[in-house]
Amino acid sequence: MTEKQAPPLFDELATIFKPSSDIVQTPLQLKDHRAFLFYVKSVVDGDKLQQTVIRPFFEMGSEEDFASYIQSLPNRTDIPDKDKLLIKLSSGLVLIAIGDSTFLLDVRIVKNNEIQETVMEPTIHGPQKGLSEDIETTINLIRQRYHNSSLKVEEIPKNDISNRAIVLLYDNDRIDPRILKKIKAELEGITNALFESAEDLQHFLNRSKLTLFPTTMVTERPDRIVYNLVAGKVIIAIDGSPNVIVAPIIFFDFMSSMEDNYHVSVITGFTILLRYLGLFTCILLPSLYIAMTSYNPEILRIELALTVAGSRIGVPYPSFIEVIFMLFFMELLTEASMRLPKAVSGTATTVGGLILGTAATEAALTSTIMVIIISAVAISTFVIPINEMSFAVRVVRFLLIIYTSLFGLVGLLLGFMGFIMFLANKDSLGEPYLRIPWKGKNAELGMDNK
Amino acid sequence: MAGKQKILKGSIVFILLLSLLIQAGCAFKDIDKRVFVLGFGIDPSEQVRNGFRVTLKLAKQVGDIKQSTSPPYLYISHDAESVAEAIHEMETRVDKVLDFGHSKIIVMHKELLTKDLDTFMDFFTRRGDIQMISYVAVADKTAEEIISFEPTTEAPASIALYNYFDNTGTESPFVVTTFLFEFRREVLGEGHDTIMPIIGTDEENHDFVIDKSIVLKRGAPPVELTPEETKYFNSLMNKAYGFSYKIKEDGLIMVLNFDEIRMSYKILLNDGDPRIDMKITKVGVVGESNKRLNSKQIEKYNKIAGKEIGKTVTDLLIKLQENDVNPFGFGLRYRATRLSKKGIMEEWKRIYPDIKFNVKVNIELKSTGAVE
Repeated sequence: MTEKQAPPLFDELATIFKPSSDIVQTPLQLKDHRAFLFYVKSVVDGDKLQQTVIRPFFEMGSEEDFASYIQSLPNRTDIPDKDKLLIKLSSGLVLIAIGDSTFLLDVRIVKNNEIQETVMEPTIHGPQKGLSEDIETTINLIRQRYHNSSLKVEEIPKNDISNRAIVLLYDNDRIDPRILKKIKAELEGITNALFESAEDLQHFLNRSKLTLFPTTMVTERPDRIVYNLVAGKVIIAIDGSPNVIVAPIIFFDFMSSMEDNYHVSVITGFTILLRYLGLFTCILLPSLYIAMTSYNPEILRIELALTVAGSRIGVPYPSFIEVIFMLFFMELLTEASMRLPKAVSGTATTVGGLILGTAATEAALTSTIMVIIISAVAISTFVIPINEMSFAVRVVRFLLIIYTSLFGLVGLLLGFMGFIMFLANKDSLGEPYLRIPWKGKNAELGMDNK
Repeated sequence: MAGKQKILKGSIVFILLLSLLIQAGCAFKDIDKRVFVLGFGIDPSEQVRNGFRVTLKLAKQVGDIKQSTSPPYLYISHDAESVAEAIHEMETRVDKVLDFGHSKIIVMHKELLTKDLDTFMDFFTRRGDIQMISYVAVADKTAEEIISFEPTTEAPASIALYNYFDNTGTESPFVVTTFLFEFRREVLGEGHDTIMPIIGTDEENHDFVIDKSIVLKRGAPPVELTPEETKYFNSLMNKAYGFSYKIKEDGLIMVLNFDEIRMSYKILLNDGDPRIDMKITKVGVVGESNKRLNSKQIEKYNKIAGKEIGKTVTDLLIKLQENDVNPFGFGLRYRATRLSKKGIMEEWKRIYPDIKFNVKVNIELKSTGAVE
């Protein structure tokens, strides 16, 4: 009886993986049956391996029986070429050699597959759970909400360093094939070496280097995903990220909250109205203050003009410095409370609130009316439901302030018109970015054709 | 690498340009560096021959308006040959920019009405920052006194004179409102004469009294209307409500309040003597009565009131006709409804002094105001 050696492939693989200590290359032997296992211990489910591979090996009568048993396991996959094989092994597959044949079994263990709470877009009504960091779980969550054979899950081969799975999900019946083609081309065109998360991938999808407004949306809500699938959009999921990318997205998608679908129509209408008023307030109000106090006080009511003039007594700097100063502190405050650990952020907001509140007025650094305006602006920024858009709006605000402090009310108007023109000129994968949704919800979802 | 450098350079240039912002533009003038002119008073000058004395009402800046006790206004006057000169010279007397954007009233002295009006009023219509919706009024005394008068009811940061005319405060039928654009149009146009309120003060010098008006025709002496006539005119022309009428009959004293007034007239030349048929409808309620009223007698009260009101209106029309002025704009109507031809206004000027008035008043009391 000759001693069977491990196949040469195993030795080769072992040298590649060296000096990782979590490599296991082990022979199984019962009388003259032999099998060889090769796997990375830290990503393989040991129990499952024991249950489905090692135990049956010792129970089976012959190598042939064991080979056909392994052959019929549901988690068996075909063996790809060597490069792919390395990727697969490092993600938790087990290579088994029995006699002359080798098999690849999926016994990976995923620790990050718990379902996350919705953090970015919390709602009162509607689903409270988001997606998972594990792509299998994420796809499972989406599939469980969309039982339809036309939902396609397509893996995109991507050669970045981490070799993580990127998956496209779309409804084959509803999607515009041109958009799908464009997105695929777009994804293939990305040459970046490493994606950390969905947000990261999104930046590369936005094409131009200097963009302010995103053309894709990052979401964590399964209900939004399903809504967009039905509307014929593509969902891009990346392993390891609890968020997915929705494309193509236009401006007005950023202004909609999923809760709009869960309320009665009048309430929804009211909240949408509030949201748009908030949008215009936070874009225009600081610039309007500059325009009104420094260029065209005649558009105010006389009482207000006198009050504003009175409250500015002793303020050392011109109005736009005042506005930029206060906005700057407000932005610092927002940024700080976002980044800080929860234990400290409370202190930051309290201290910041003191500075922005009465203290700044009492020190005659700003007028009292300015404090009101800044708080109104800060609050209305948070009314915008999608965080990415409120970031963009914060930048637009500063651009308008520059225009206004140079050219007054006319500058504000021109700047705002320029902003509209910019948005109108922009496109999101061929869709006009500022396309006004004249169509109703049903038409948008393609329901009225049926 | 070159691309990165380019971006870096670009952003440095951008930041440097941004720092230019600190050097504010030339139209940039903060609100606390402006002083708001709230009103103009124009008098004939005693120092400069044929000149004007211009008084400006300025708003002082007060840090805390709610705490301040006195109305925060200040007044400056200057004599010069023309209004524009006076204002330019006054600019040297305040440290801030005079901002006319908020001035909403122009008060002029009565004597100035007989002078060449359009030359001094020209300043106001030419300046872009003086709004054409400014009110124009005539002072009972000197314009300076009126514009600098601070009634006891005037609160800080609220200008009493504006409240009289803009219908946000009092809506008395005794107050006629004339805007600068109306004034200009009517003074320079033909067929419609301007009527302006006369602003006076009461005897104790506590409050304004604005109940008279003056009708102005260019090149003719102005005609003053009494408070009663002003009320009648205002209720007909401007549908001013709050018009009340007192009936006295057989010991019955009754005050009627009208809240809806309609007036229409026709100029008839071919039907007998040239005449103007005026139809007035007033709808209202009984506001006060010293006796119990019977709703069956409403028709009677309607008739009594209608007859009296008709007579007063006719008297007013005749007074205006005798003075050859026409704030109702009959001439304009004549001009607008006849075929245009040369000398049409001369024709009207020949017709107007002899035209007859036929006033029909229809009073509609809604009820006696009592539950039966």
